[in-house]
Amino acid sequence: MSKVISLAAAIAAIPDGSSIALGGNTLHRSPSAAVHELIRQDRRELTLIKTAGAYDIDVLCGAGCVARLVVAYVGFENLRGMALRFRSAIETGQVQLEEHTCASVIAGLRAAVQGIPFMPLAGMTGTDLASGRFHAVANPYGEGEVITIPAIRPDWAIVHVQEADGEGNARILGTTFEDALIARAARHVLVTCEKLVSGADLARRPELTTIPGFQVDAVVEAPGGAWPASCAGYYDIDEAAIARYYELAAQATPERIRAFIGEQAGAGQRVTVGAR
Amino acid sequence: MATAGERLDPAAIMVTALSRLLCDGERVFHGVASPLPMVAILLAKATHAPRLVYINITGSIDPTPSRLPRSTTDPALLEGTRALITLADAFDLSARGGLDTVFLSGVQIDARGRINMSAIGDPARPKIRLPGGAGSAFLLPTANRTILWRTRHDPRTFVEEVSFATGSGNVDRVVTPLCVFRRDPLVGRLVVESIHPTSSPEELTARTGFALDLTGAPVTPPPSAEELAALARVDPQGMHRIEFA
Repeated sequence: MSKVISLAAAIAAIPDGSSIALGGNTLHRSPSAAVHELIRQDRRELTLIKTAGAYDIDVLCGAGCVARLVVAYVGFENLRGMALRFRSAIETGQVQLEEHTCASVIAGLRAAVQGIPFMPLAGMTGTDLASGRFHAVANPYGEGEVITIPAIRPDWAIVHVQEADGEGNARILGTTFEDALIARAARHVLVTCEKLVSGADLARRPELTTIPGFQVDAVVEAPGGAWPASCAGYYDIDEAAIARYYELAAQATPERIRAFIGEQAGAGQRVTVGAR
Repeated sequence: MATAGERLDPAAIMVTALSRLLCDGERVFHGVASPLPMVAILLAKATHAPRLVYINITGSIDPTPSRLPRSTTDPALLEGTRALITLADAFDLSARGGLDTVFLSGVQIDARGRINMSAIGDPARPKIRLPGGAGSAFLLPTANRTILWRTRHDPRTFVEEVSFATGSGNVDRVVTPLCVFRRDPLVGRLVVESIHPTSSPEELTARTGFALDLTGAPVTPPPSAEELAALARVDPQGMHRIEFA
């Protein structure tokens, strides 16, 4: 049965107050088309979960969609610098931050994937991030103790992949980042893809299907859907667009953000192809 | 032939100092926002450490990128890899003691080698919210050693004590535009291993926020002609300079 629906219909199924794990990493394979639709539909009070975010987290903070963040890094790496709307949202208290390290986000997701309340994690000594938040338990089988991370169970995982079939079987080219984990940890999964392909196409190389369709609620064909982030095999980071966003982020208004995300239309046709 | 200007370029001094710290055969990892480590690792592999195992956040192993990206989690770093692991795999490798060296940075670095990538001021309502430490809180105590780097060296960056420790652990060296620090395991503090030829004991003392004993501190050997030639080969676009912009 086909799960292919419009982007507007897919995002309409995600209510205010949802917790959403976003796929990709910094400026790579971000689910930007879905992020932009969340902004268009004026979704509010969201919790966002990601190891390392950039534009996706920043623009949602700037648009006032976010109440809480569960993240380890938000920044534009060495393309620009600090994520300005993220920074302002935390400094003004508009958004509450649960700061993690990447490995503790992964540990929390792993606990959810395995249906258990927490996951032990090595290290985590000498960090103020753990203080009063992540509790140590005694090793029941021997000496010592280990820090534990509570399960992170998102309401939704939103991932942008290169190819998927209509039932949601999703093929990721290149690095999978935490996409396979979040798709298993979340209650619901939305897959957006560059290209809808046939099930027969996926059946030729099933080992490349990172997310099985039975876990997926909805599929949206969204060419250019990571823009202005990269999508391996399809297009590189649109550095000029990131530069324009970064300038507007310094004095962001809802109108300016909406004008910028409007550029997404046609991004699939316009973007340059990199390592295809 | 290398000119004096090339040999005394702070970016070239830093990248060669980082590269020389790497050993042949060891497993080395870098994450996001790490252009200098990316180039230093490729330089080490092109010079004294051809069998170094280069692992990065894209999950590629020993890639041979024809173009170096500004983002160090870019698919450009997949080129040439014959295997692909996940970030979770890389963390698990560190957890079980199999990761030799990790590169990390800190907006603030203190005298004990602790880093702050989180916040300036009250962490609950900070004056300046920083990007976050990404993998550092976990990697610092689990990797066998960490090399820190920072392209800014002033008293607000190198402080006696960070107000918030995003992470701390097995720091071995810290490379800056002025010097190489090593952490003395006996006293647990950073001590100067060498002063770059472009700096001086006076400048280093004035621009460091904790006490230093510079008695007998040698000068960092400038990049050799061979190192500069290899650097030009592995990084023709000069990505090792972008952190100085």
